[in-house]
Amino acid sequence: MTAVTDQNQKEHTAHTEGMVQRDGRDSTDGQRAPDDRGVGEIPESRTVQEAGTGRGRGSDPEYGGVSGAGGTARSVTIPEHDRAPRPEGAGRRRALEEAGVADASDLAAGRSSRVVSGQGTRLEDDGIARTGHTRALVRPDDRHAPADRLNRPVRRQDDDRPARRQDDDRQQRRQDDDRQQRRPDENRHARVRDDDNHARVHDGDGHARMTDGSHARGHEGDHHAPEHQGDHHARVQDGDARGRTESEDVWDDGLIARRVTETGTSAADLVPVDPRPARTMPVPPLAYDGPLRSRLDALRELVGLSRTRLDSRTLAEAGRVLDEAAARRRLSGQHTVVAIAGATGSGKSQLFNALAGVAISETGVRRPTTAAPIACSWSDGAASLIDRLGIPGRLRRRPVQGSDADPQMRGLVLVDLPDHDSAAVQHREHVDRILGLVDAVIWVVDPEKYADAVLHERYLRPMAGHAEIMFVVLNQIDRLPGEAADQVLDDLRRLLDEDGIALGEYGEPGATVLALSALTGDGVGELRESLGQFVAERGAAARRISADVDAAATGLRPVYATRGQAGLSEEAREEFAARLADAVGAVAAGEAAERAWLRNAGRACGTPWLRLWRWCQDRREPPTGRLPVRTQPDEEATARQRVEQAVRTVADRASAGLPVPWAQAVREAAVRGAQGLPEALDDLAARAGLPPGRPPRPGWWPAAVLAQASMTILQVVGGLWLVGQIVGVMAPNLGVPVLLMLAGIGGGPLVEWSCRIAARGPARRYGQDAERRLREAAAGCGRARVLDPLAAELLRYREVREQYARVTGAGGR
Amino acid sequence: MVTLDVRPQLLEALSALRDRVSAARFPLPLEGASRARANRDELLAQLDDYLVPRLREPEAPLLVVVGGSTGAGKSTLVNSLVGRRVSEAGVLRPTTRTPVLVCHPEDHHWFSDVRVLPGLTRAWVPRQDAGAGLTGDELLTSEDDPARVLRVETVETVPPGLALLDAPDIDSLIADNRALAAELICAADIWVMVTTAARYADAVPWHLLRTAKEYDATLVTVLDRVPHQVVSEVSKQYGALLTKAGLGDVPRFTVPELPESAWGGGLLPATAVAPLRAWLVHHAQDPAARQYAMARTAHGLLDSLKVRMPELAGAAAAQYSAALRLTSVVDAAYDGESARVRGRLDAGAVLAGDALKRWRAYPLDCTAGELLDALVESLAALLLCAVTAADERIDDAWRREPAAGGPGLADRDPSAESAEHRIGLAVRRWRRELEEYADDEVRELERNAAPDPEVVAALAATGLLGGRRGRSAGEGLAERIGAHGALRLRDRAGRLLADYLDRVMHAERERRLAPLDALEVHPDPQAELIAALSVLLKER
Repeated sequence: MTAVTDQNQKEHTAHTEGMVQRDGRDSTDGQRAPDDRGVGEIPESRTVQEAGTGRGRGSDPEYGGVSGAGGTARSVTIPEHDRAPRPEGAGRRRALEEAGVADASDLAAGRSSRVVSGQGTRLEDDGIARTGHTRALVRPDDRHAPADRLNRPVRRQDDDRPARRQDDDRQQRRQDDDRQQRRPDENRHARVRDDDNHARVHDGDGHARMTDGSHARGHEGDHHAPEHQGDHHARVQDGDARGRTESEDVWDDGLIARRVTETGTSAADLVPVDPRPARTMPVPPLAYDGPLRSRLDALRELVGLSRTRLDSRTLAEAGRVLDEAAARRRLSGQHTVVAIAGATGSGKSQLFNALAGVAISETGVRRPTTAAPIACSWSDGAASLIDRLGIPGRLRRRPVQGSDADPQMRGLVLVDLPDHDSAAVQHREHVDRILGLVDAVIWVVDPEKYADAVLHERYLRPMAGHAEIMFVVLNQIDRLPGEAADQVLDDLRRLLDEDGIALGEYGEPGATVLALSALTGDGVGELRESLGQFVAERGAAARRISADVDAAATGLRPVYATRGQAGLSEEAREEFAARLADAVGAVAAGEAAERAWLRNAGRACGTPWLRLWRWCQDRREPPTGRLPVRTQPDEEATARQRVEQAVRTVADRASAGLPVPWAQAVREAAVRGAQGLPEALDDLAARAGLPPGRPPRPGWWPAAVLAQASMTILQVVGGLWLVGQIVGVMAPNLGVPVLLMLAGIGGGPLVEWSCRIAARGPARRYGQDAERRLREAAAGCGRARVLDPLAAELLRYREVREQYARVTGAGGR
Repeated sequence: MVTLDVRPQLLEALSALRDRVSAARFPLPLEGASRARANRDELLAQLDDYLVPRLREPEAPLLVVVGGSTGAGKSTLVNSLVGRRVSEAGVLRPTTRTPVLVCHPEDHHWFSDVRVLPGLTRAWVPRQDAGAGLTGDELLTSEDDPARVLRVETVETVPPGLALLDAPDIDSLIADNRALAAELICAADIWVMVTTAARYADAVPWHLLRTAKEYDATLVTVLDRVPHQVVSEVSKQYGALLTKAGLGDVPRFTVPELPESAWGGGLLPATAVAPLRAWLVHHAQDPAARQYAMARTAHGLLDSLKVRMPELAGAAAAQYSAALRLTSVVDAAYDGESARVRGRLDAGAVLAGDALKRWRAYPLDCTAGELLDALVESLAALLLCAVTAADERIDDAWRREPAAGGPGLADRDPSAESAEHRIGLAVRRWRRELEEYADDEVRELERNAAPDPEVVAALAATGLLGGRRGRSAGEGLAERIGAHGALRLRDRAGRLLADYLDRVMHAERERRLAPLDALEVHPDPQAELIAALSVLLKER
């Protein structure tokens, strides 16, 4: 089918019908129009005979509408304008722009200059531009340009191919240029430099005549600046198109055959879009809004932080989202890529054609019909977007717009997908791949299949979060009698609701559900309208990415979200310290110290007789166990099992509620820290076991000793006195010495007892002191070796969680 | 020409096989387990719903099940075949939620009891009830589980000896419907697969067709709702696809899309379905054709057992091997930990920390009771540590085993506390017994200056648990109760300790394995399945 466009050139009276081919670059031209104005253009008309019949599918309609392959002869009448040199200013601007951004810049600048042409021509352009001559290329016989185009597709498809396939002699002379230019082409930078003064001239109205005429004539959007003098009207016949005529613009600067279209006039084009020409952003790239950007940053950081903890499979989806977001961001923000997806036989292609206004995509009864995705772009500059989808050049189209040229669809790139449910598996693969890349999806369902499990379970439910970029279209309502359509539509709404898809009703964000018939055109207008509005908002890509981020975040939820509070509680820390203290035997050590001190105190303040007796006893039987143990320093004074258990417990406490990978990391950190901990504790127990120096003595100690001594003296004095009396040395006086002795005998134990009472306090203090020292030393050791690494790990997790919260929360969804 | 030759031995072997199949369980969530479960259910359904009843009563009417995707027009087709609206057709999908069986009134008794499709409750709607659909719905609402109801309709226009069953859609959004559809199709003598011009390339129906081919069932395909402009082209396409799939010889009927067939509409004109009806009537009434259709499906099913039973057996084996792996992980962990504990005991690890400090202070600053307390506590800590370490190792290893996600295995309650409790109990019991032994020894001494039994017990424990460090305790013990007594006490206590140790570790291991044991994954089903199959094959 071919599309024929009539174009009126405003500036040129001549009406020619031409086909214009443009490449991605050209597409930008519409916006650049103003610059060209000053340029004098000399219309030139040429007739190009093109060889190559096969415009069929084999030929790539996208390339400039000229299918090289088939080699049908076409005659092209091209009015060419001679270009007069462009005003310098413009030229320079252009040069600057191009140098910086390559072609993309033109658009960005809103320049009018059109760079239209196949690569070949463009390249030539460059060449010429460089030489700094202004030339008008007029090729009366110009077959080259078309020929060039013919070749172009081939070339583009595989850049490596050195020779153009289909060149005839005419072409030869350009080849050199082309080749040399190809290189720059490949790296896609500054492709065209026309510096200076080359003005580009468009050829006036190139009107292409299309033989087929089966379809509408495309009008170009009127929004294109009318000032362009040179218009290329491209009519492309695509699909099976047989002959075409092309009009080419020839620019002054020597760029030939840049296809430009549409300045103020409407170029209706079903023009195959040049797929790969310099793709350096002819259009301003997409810009994400603040929240989304920060969510993406957070996600990136999240992935970075988690890489060592989580396996790559878990992070794969997030990584993919990031990659896609970055890739999409680099591409045009002016365009919205909308895929038409659905089951086989639901009428995807029919709807596609209905929207495009021309039968681009093959429809039929043979199932499955569409085997490979087809793209159709309503405005220029989307080539790189389509590249990203991996749709080859021969499957790219431009719509033929009806007389109601729709500016509203501007920026739309429609992609017709194969089915997702047929027995042909590779179709499903196509669909799955492309659905991940497009900005929005139109799901086409029909009354027969709208409740298919595969659609709902495999696609709609997982994509429920993408409701805002989803249209669900019930096609084929012409097959339904009466109000059955409404019933089915309601049922469809119910099913979608059950799938968890928010429906965009009453102004709420969500999926748009429509009923239409692509066959009769019923309801297509409505879809077109809401699609146009949707596209005009230019928000789909960002929303899609945002939904992707949501989905990735949801997928990551199990590895980031915590049940309850993550962290090491104070009790856990204390318990850990207590367990370590147990392991080094702090309590027992303290008690032992206390008792030893008490014993020593008792001994010091005890009656000498008792001490004497104890001394004798000690000599008689040495105490069990004491000596051998004391003598040898112990290699394993710390209870290993208790340390191990303590570490395990604290790690468990710390990792309680953490997602598995993080819990694992925490546990590993604890285990790592625990290595060498028992040995350190051994050391420490040996060093810090007892307070250094002699055990402290309370101030009353000497007094007690003195009192005890005096009691003994009393006894001795009393005894001596009595002895003296008995011997007769002394005067008999029984009372006083007996009293003295009794006082001494009674007082000694009394002093000892009261000393013991008094010593209890200091003994306990001493014991507690010993216990505390050991405990603190153990706790300090444990903190340094285990708790701190644990806390660090937890901190890391908390950081990650914050990032995760930013990923999920900050979007405000 | 295949014939159905049914002997009692065959039936016996078949029911034995059926029992084996129904006994097979696949509780562990292995890869392929859910598939095995589905296969088992399907096989069971086929045996129960189709093969056994069919072989028992070859004279029962042929059951024709009409299956296909949602919206393929199955109900409309059935209605048209019987010439009455027996099954509700409509535009809302899925339409048929309750299967409807239509048969001649004389055949009703075949289907009113649970001879076939025993899993479905019957809802019989008397013939005179004109608003069959409505009544059916009312009946259904009273049922608990509407999905498991079979509505039986009797219509005179159905030829005797033939029953039509309108199944729910095979790719329904409602999972129950899908399962039911599969089950119903399994019960069919003749499978009628309905597809449409829009659907004939769908993947789901093709799966079913391939299954039919695999089972060598008697199959008929109907290409429904073909707009007549494209009848020949679509039909040709479809035929080519069928041929490509090796189903070229399957009878194929094309029903055009007529206004009547549309959406909720009534019946198709008789002419539209006449060829199909004729085919069905022929098979129902011509004995040879009937026998052929029946025998082909039955034999196909019997033949398919040769593949499916080994599959089930393989799945059972996989289950068992997974269970073995899990068990061996547990065993290895506990064995390793037991060995470690023994090593630690020999190294005197118990006499460390608190216990060591006590021992150093003994006897001056520490009593025998305190020493014994400390030792027992330390021993409990050692055991607890071993058990938790074993659990941790098991958790780690199981995390890598898909089978460990089984019911009751994954959500092990963190019963560390209760393990601590159990171990403490065991250790204290050991201490009591040790004290009793010490008592015995001391009593045997019959000396005036008999040592305190507690001291003896503490020294014995220290000697036993203290390894090298506790050697002096042994010496002290020998001093107190004599070398002979000390040796004896030590031996007994040592045996007791080993005994308790084993008991504790064993108990914990059993607790760990209990949920796995509860799943009852045995090696037997595998062998039994294969055995049952071989018996059956021999009887054929």
